[in-house]
Amino acid sequence: MTTRCRELIQEDCRLVTTGQPGSLEALRHRTLLITGGTGFVGTWIAELITFLNDTQNLGVRLLLLSSHANDFAAKAPELAARTDIQLIKRDVRGLFEITPEVEYIIHAAGNPDHRMHATDPISTMNVIAQGTGAVLQAALTLPNLRGLLYISSGLVYGQQPWELAQLPESYTGAIAHSSSSACYAEAKRFAEMLCDAYRRQSRLPIVIARPFAFIGPYQLLDRPWAINNFIRDCLMGGPIRILGDGSTVRSYMYPSDMAYWLLRILLDGAIGTCYNVGSPHGISLAKVAERIALYSQKRPEILFNQARESQSSRFVPDTSLASRTLGLHLTVDIDTAIQRTLLWNQARNA
Amino acid sequence: MPPILISDSTLRDGNHAVAHQLTAPQIAQYARCADAARVPIVEVGHGNGLGASSLQVGESALTDHEQLRIAREQLSHVKLGVHIIPGFATINKDLAPALALGVDVVRVASHCTEADITQRHIDYTRSQGKEVYGVLMMSHMAPREILVEQALKMESYGAEGVVIMDSAGAYLPVDVAERISALVAALRIPIGFHAHNNLGMSIANSLTAVEHGATIIDGSARGFGAGAGNAQLEVLVAVLMRMGYATGIDHYKLLEAADLAERELIPSLPTISSLSIVSGLAGVFSGFTKHVVRIAQTYQVDPRDVFFELGRRKVVAGQEDIIIEVADTLAKQRKDPA
Repeated sequence: MTTRCRELIQEDCRLVTTGQPGSLEALRHRTLLITGGTGFVGTWIAELITFLNDTQNLGVRLLLLSSHANDFAAKAPELAARTDIQLIKRDVRGLFEITPEVEYIIHAAGNPDHRMHATDPISTMNVIAQGTGAVLQAALTLPNLRGLLYISSGLVYGQQPWELAQLPESYTGAIAHSSSSACYAEAKRFAEMLCDAYRRQSRLPIVIARPFAFIGPYQLLDRPWAINNFIRDCLMGGPIRILGDGSTVRSYMYPSDMAYWLLRILLDGAIGTCYNVGSPHGISLAKVAERIALYSQKRPEILFNQARESQSSRFVPDTSLASRTLGLHLTVDIDTAIQRTLLWNQARNA
Repeated sequence: MPPILISDSTLRDGNHAVAHQLTAPQIAQYARCADAARVPIVEVGHGNGLGASSLQVGESALTDHEQLRIAREQLSHVKLGVHIIPGFATINKDLAPALALGVDVVRVASHCTEADITQRHIDYTRSQGKEVYGVLMMSHMAPREILVEQALKMESYGAEGVVIMDSAGAYLPVDVAERISALVAALRIPIGFHAHNNLGMSIANSLTAVEHGATIIDGSARGFGAGAGNAQLEVLVAVLMRMGYATGIDHYKLLEAADLAERELIPSLPTISSLSIVSGLAGVFSGFTKHVVRIAQTYQVDPRDVFFELGRRKVVAGQEDIIIEVADTLAKQRKDPA
């Protein structure tokens, strides 16, 4: 990774922790295990933690468990080489024992790529269902477990009604079984329920986060999500192609905010509670494309694939619970998120 | 009414009809006419797509590179498209060079139950900023639920539309209506249809597809294509015009392109031969016809029996080598009926 990429991420970590001194103090000298630890969520938490280790001597030891641990050095060489990070190559389904020093767990294993859901729904569901069972069972043996955060998904709500501006945690919609993403969402619902069962029956200190959509460094631009494709199209000189008329509404959180929110929910979230994690500010895909084009030096053309009548959808969380009870807010708005994502990817490809 | 995106397969499916022997002047002449007619997409290449030229399915007179370069030089207003079947074509050897030559549209095809194999080719095409569609061939062999499932995979991989092919010309309008309606209901991306004329239904089936929500339709000049041919493009566009659908095509120029195709490209106009009818009834890919005729003659068996046996075995494109085995088996059975 280039020096400029590192500088951008360090600036992001500095910004998100500025004005919030000591808010992650409870992690001091603790050992944190992250399953799916080399994925997007795990990598960003590792960036934030190591930044605090370096700048505030937080002294956190990180265990990143992943079946792709061997690839981490290519993705984030500076993180992979650190002594405060230990990489563990293992499929989460085969996790039978966790080292007793672990005091916090973030269980983030699971593949949100809907290409995988369509191609291999069995594996998608097994990793989530069996993996969560393995983590929870192993967590029972930990003598000093202080908190376990399960990373679920905003998809557990099913289709958001168009007339509902934001999805609150209390929303009880149903998942459409005909959707190719249903296997992922249903498995996540099951995993949430399993977490709750372990909380009730075995008193595990579990909180749950339901992430929505993100854009920022480390997000792979070949993932089949609209904003990723727009940025990739833009970086290649365009045009940016939009499926439909662009009226579909999404919201995007920058990953430094995501990492900070998740750590705060792990430390301060009420046991047994689910928190939406994302941006509450909806924006149409047409406007997202316009902003990306605006912030690009190449000013790519925007094309609409409107061969069919558009089926607009909305996927925006209500994050007032996290804001009201934990004081969480966004430090990076959508314009800044797009600009920094473009900068990071340009620096990465330089 | 939504506009209809027409993809012209004359220089690709038509290649089947001449054993993949289209020449450089033929490709250049037709591409120039199609460009003048503003046909939105002109597909070019071996009948089975990029990388398919081989002893097994027939060697092209020209390489993929030569065909695409010649067509590219003639196309300034319309998009250059290719058909690609993973297995015949690889990304590094075939797809990447094609995109470097200026291909605008890639149609990644698989047998109707094997969409999984298209993911990497769709991914790669999207990563290069090009338009990409998924194509489900021999779609009559799968019930609508399976077709929907496979098409959803292609959508999830990033396909910007999914086209189902009636590769054997086996559909009746009711079959088309059922499948297209299900796909339109389940997918967010445009749906398309590619007809063959074995049972004389290609135009009727294409219109049925449009009436049930398809917005991408394939056709070829004079129906120049495998077996009994495709939907005749100039007829298709004329009928769509009569029905009020916009295609953006200059119909006079398209008629001139079709006249040129008849004069310069097509040694014998597609007809619904007896064997084409059998191929449609048996549900066997029309591109098998020339191979079946040749092999049946060699083994002294009835080509109609060969077709029905191939249909019973549910063979698909790429399994042309099975024709010999079937003919051999039939010949032995004839000698030794017991």
